[in-house]
Amino acid sequence: MNILQYILDLGPAVMLPLVILILGLLLRQGLGKSLRAGITIGVGFVGIGLVISLLTENLGPAAKDMAERFNLGLSVVDVGWPGASPMAWASEIGTVAIPIAILVNVIMLAFKMTKVVNVDIWNIWHMTFTGAIVSTATDSFWLGIVGVIIHSIFVYKLGDWLVPVVDKYFGLPGIAVPHGSGTWTAPFAVVIDAILEKIPGIRKISITSTKIEEKLGIIGEPAIIGSVLGLVIGFLAGYPFSHTLQLAIQMAAVMLLMPTVVKFIMEGLMPIAEAAREMLDKRFQGQNLYIGLDPALLLGNSQVVAASLLFVPLTLVIAILIPGNQVLPFGDLATIGFFVSYAVGIHRGNLFRVIISGSVIMFITIWISNMMVGVHTKLGLATGAIKSGQVASLDQGGSPITFILTELFTLKNLVPLLVIGIAYLFSIVFMYIQYKRNKIYSDDEVEGEVYESTSIGR
Amino acid sequence: MKKVLVACGGAVATSTVAANKIRELLKVNNIKADVQQCRVSELSSKSDGVDLIVSTAKVDRDYGVPVIHGLAFISGIGLDKTKQQILETLK
Repeated sequence: MNILQYILDLGPAVMLPLVILILGLLLRQGLGKSLRAGITIGVGFVGIGLVISLLTENLGPAAKDMAERFNLGLSVVDVGWPGASPMAWASEIGTVAIPIAILVNVIMLAFKMTKVVNVDIWNIWHMTFTGAIVSTATDSFWLGIVGVIIHSIFVYKLGDWLVPVVDKYFGLPGIAVPHGSGTWTAPFAVVIDAILEKIPGIRKISITSTKIEEKLGIIGEPAIIGSVLGLVIGFLAGYPFSHTLQLAIQMAAVMLLMPTVVKFIMEGLMPIAEAAREMLDKRFQGQNLYIGLDPALLLGNSQVVAASLLFVPLTLVIAILIPGNQVLPFGDLATIGFFVSYAVGIHRGNLFRVIISGSVIMFITIWISNMMVGVHTKLGLATGAIKSGQVASLDQGGSPITFILTELFTLKNLVPLLVIGIAYLFSIVFMYIQYKRNKIYSDDEVEGEVYESTSIGR
Repeated sequence: MKKVLVACGGAVATSTVAANKIRELLKVNNIKADVQQCRVSELSSKSDGVDLIVSTAKVDRDYGVPVIHGLAFISGIGLDKTKQQILETLK
């Protein structure tokens, strides 16, 4: 027990390289490759620690000053998925989550409960995060594992139901996108689509745009988002001009550096991811199954790009409008497309509907992430990702599945649990019915949006 | 020295896999190239002076640069064909 504690106390930047090294050797990846992967993942953790402290130590106090001056809230910075994923990997759950999530998948495949073969190992961090949050909130390792299992089952099922959208709208046959946070938004979009379809007049409104990307493309650039937010917040915080300019460049740096450092964590995971993929490939080849891949594949679609751009300012407005909200959207803004990509497919690229369902999705996300600040901060401190202060994230700290599981075990926010729980359960049941009736993306409606041009490799 | 941009949604997961495999491919074939990763949203501002864009996300916009869909690096299906296309574009 003392040895285990000693290793845990070394912190994720030392512990995870050891875990990766041992796993690499077990998977026969060779000493050199395993060692390199292990050290690389450690580098990723050191790097993300530097960037997160650049973010929280500079934007944090500015946001607090701004909040006090204008009575605004918005004092807890959203570190985004680049900040949240390392916390998941560095948690106690992180070391065991990958084999568990894969095992759940294999069992479901064996019993024909899903057709998704998930080879997207990186995104297991979402299920890991749920487990880590549940275990932080309950002080129970095993409830955390239960969290990983339930979230995994849920995600693979949603992946199944959404295959028609991925195939027909995004033009990716044979592929499913069972993503830990992208998929949870889909049930809400399905319900809202059905409601809008019933309202006379409204049902006819359809907006698609290729101009938005040309005209607004610049506001989707991470460096621009970072520097503009830095400028505005520095100004509202009452900082002197010189200090405001410094904050702007620091925040541009955070936005650009975040993926660069998180990339090393991904690189370190690659030998394991490859081995897992080969194992799944070999075992389930040629069985008419869908390969589960990353939602990054959906983000190139022009309507998703347009929606992502619109939701940069919209998300900020929603955050201001929610009463009592403390979470300042930041880290997830550059990839806000992950939240609305499925909505775009479900609404067949109709941006009018995407704006409506996306607003509901972002409202729920921010509301939940605001309630999760306490336990998220506790996880951040425990994993050494932050040294003081508070953190939040929209992805995965704002996910209903994480929230509902955590609250079911702790019963701290009863009313929101009931409201969100019932609304979500209803949406899931409704989505299941639509799936069974083949109505999530049926062919009998307009077919103008199907992309043909860029099939695999051409 | 050729320049290759590898794009995906967040410039972390799928583009890292694809970029590493492309670097290996080019090394084996003796093509000197600078392979960089970015987000899809950064493509239009970064595409100047680039010889090839490989995107794991399906992009339907014209950047004035050859674009190859790099899904095969992630799914493994049609990988040889994609590799061949990349080599042909860069030769």
